Amino acid sequence: MSEPVPPSAPREVRLRDLRPGEGPVEFVARVVTCERREVSRKSDGSRRPLLSGLLTDGTATVRFTWWDPPLEGVERGSVIRAVGPEVGEYRGRTEVTFSWKSRVGPASPVELPSVDPAEIPELTVHDLRPPAEGFRVSVRIARISERSVTVGSERRVVYDGLVADGTGAIGLSAWTDFRLRTGETVEITGGYLRAFRGVPQLVLDERATVRRVERPDLPEVESVLEAPPVPMARLEEGEGGAAVAVEGLVVGLLPPSGLVYRCPQCRRNVQGGVCRVHGPVEGVADLRARIVLDDGTGAVTVNAGRVDTERLWGVTLEMARGRLRDQPDPSLLESELGDVLLGRRLRVRGSASRDDFGVTIQPDSIELVDVDLDATAEQLAARAAGGRL
Amino acid sequence: MSFREPAWRVVARELESSLEEERSASERAASYVISPFGSRMNRVLLAGTLSPAEPIGRDESQPFWRARFTDPTGAVAVTAGSFQPRAMAQLRAATTPRSAIVVGKVHLYRGRDGIANVSVRAESLRTVGEGEERAALADAVRQTLDRLDLLARLEEEPNIAPELLARSGVPTLWISAARESFRRYPEADRTQFRKELQAAVRRVAGIAMATDAPALPVTVQIHREVPPPPRVAPSASERAEESLVLEFLDQVAEASLDAYADRRELLSRVGSRGLGSDRAEEVLTRLEDEGVVEEPIVGKLRRA
Repeated sequence: MSEPVPPSAPREVRLRDLRPGEGPVEFVARVVTCERREVSRKSDGSRRPLLSGLLTDGTATVRFTWWDPPLEGVERGSVIRAVGPEVGEYRGRTEVTFSWKSRVGPASPVELPSVDPAEIPELTVHDLRPPAEGFRVSVRIARISERSVTVGSERRVVYDGLVADGTGAIGLSAWTDFRLRTGETVEITGGYLRAFRGVPQLVLDERATVRRVERPDLPEVESVLEAPPVPMARLEEGEGGAAVAVEGLVVGLLPPSGLVYRCPQCRRNVQGGVCRVHGPVEGVADLRARIVLDDGTGAVTVNAGRVDTERLWGVTLEMARGRLRDQPDPSLLESELGDVLLGRRLRVRGSASRDDFGVTIQPDSIELVDVDLDATAEQLAARAAGGRL
Repeated sequence: MSFREPAWRVVARELESSLEEERSASERAASYVISPFGSRMNRVLLAGTLSPAEPIGRDESQPFWRARFTDPTGAVAVTAGSFQPRAMAQLRAATTPRSAIVVGKVHLYRGRDGIANVSVRAESLRTVGEGEERAALADAVRQTLDRLDLLARLEEEPNIAPELLARSGVPTLWISAARESFRRYPEADRTQFRKELQAAVRRVAGIAMATDAPALPVTVQIHREVPPPPRVAPSASERAEESLVLEFLDQVAEASLDAYADRRELLSRVGSRGLGSDRAEEVLTRLEDEGVVEEPIVGKLRRA
């Protein structure tokens, strides 16, 4: 166990400057997220309450653990002053723990340190990867739309979109209405990053600030949304992001494709009537295609949902279920889908993520491509005749 | 990290000219056919005309079919066996020549006389319209020209930094393939090959007919002083090991969520039955070579 707090006066610090083992400190911060739970002791089985979550003061975000917290008065958005917390480190990130040795109490938002935006390091979209934080970034809003979600029992509106600068594009998810409009250029401070399906996403909540700025140098909406296809090799070599385009031929399908059954709660694939998370469930029928698309330089997996699958296949979910009644072998449906798609030329736009198995694209759009053969032949003729481009 | 092998876009002539291969000494890696024109292929995608298939082999329980694939630059054999049932069905279906796109693995066989022969074992193939065939052939010509340009660039500046080429959009794999091409075929006539591509360009333009079979005979031959030993048929004990591995592969695949058998899990299972992991890897390599088992994702096996 650690030593009792030495009697020297705690030093007031910003979260950015917290380091383990540098003497007693004190800070003011806002609770970003928090979750209450109980941990049972192995020795006697007694249960001890615990509050954990994230704190920020505009300079950094740190994880906190609060043993035996007050029964109420601490929630998302609360501002607290902490004197003498234990400062530790986990996987290279600073964490704080509040125990009987620390004094933690409510504070006023005006006590939060004022942060001069110029002090905050500016990042490019290319550098926005978790766990980057305490940054500012200037972007063009390429796309924004609102969507309503249920969090616990609460209905909330989320603003989803895509923002970009000259170095790349990243998905945006705003939990507060910043009145973002497509096409405007803004400077964002106080956002944080999380990985959604392996793709970094910029998240804004009420602690973020958005400032309209004049930045005609940022790429236009059209050039972000209509970027030309990149070779798949580039994605395999590590480039990627929220707005990529690829073009290639379908060379195969990965299982499960065709008619699938999903958990009614989480939409995960149901195997043998059992959801990996929710146990035995009544699966809901759906269509999907996990398309292997290849452009000669590399290959990607495109996860096509029901709408795209129906359009490319020409078979609706209802028709597929009907066929299954006549011919109860789901693998026939998968083979038929494969035969229909094989060799088709597709242009896919969406977000690309990479793992040990390769690159996966969550598509925003899938289009069948027609090639202008005359123009292509002319270009190739000039090159084959000896001229190098 | 190694991902799914891309389907190299090549014309038949490039396959005909390929006499070199890179077989994996280590258990994991795939084998590659190296062409004189900058390709290092495990898988290819071909667009051209497929003739009606004929059965080869006498064993009725192991059907194997072969068809002749032609494009305006050359011809190559396309095969499919019972381990590629859908491709085999497609191959058998046609009674007249038709436009097709073929995706498959490249194999190089060297006969006793030392003559190398490339064939493509189809994983999937589809009869397509003439427009689709010409568009896919256009991809092959374009990427072949890209590779020839890369070779020319490397010839001019042998010490050019790969990063510089990568920045102009050249895939890293292509750069190493090009260097390997130079090493293996220092004398290849790449200017002549560029001219031969013009026949394919005419086809893309719709000038040459699909049935316009190439007049060029195969001119490149390589004779080895010592022919490699013919492949020995596996012994009964080797067969027993194969069936043990396959049996466990099916079990592991059955129990997994993604229908693939995890390689490590499989090795530990067969290990518990007394088949050491070195030996098991050898068996797996043999099964993969024979097209019985494939590893579409590294570490994930399934029946081909």
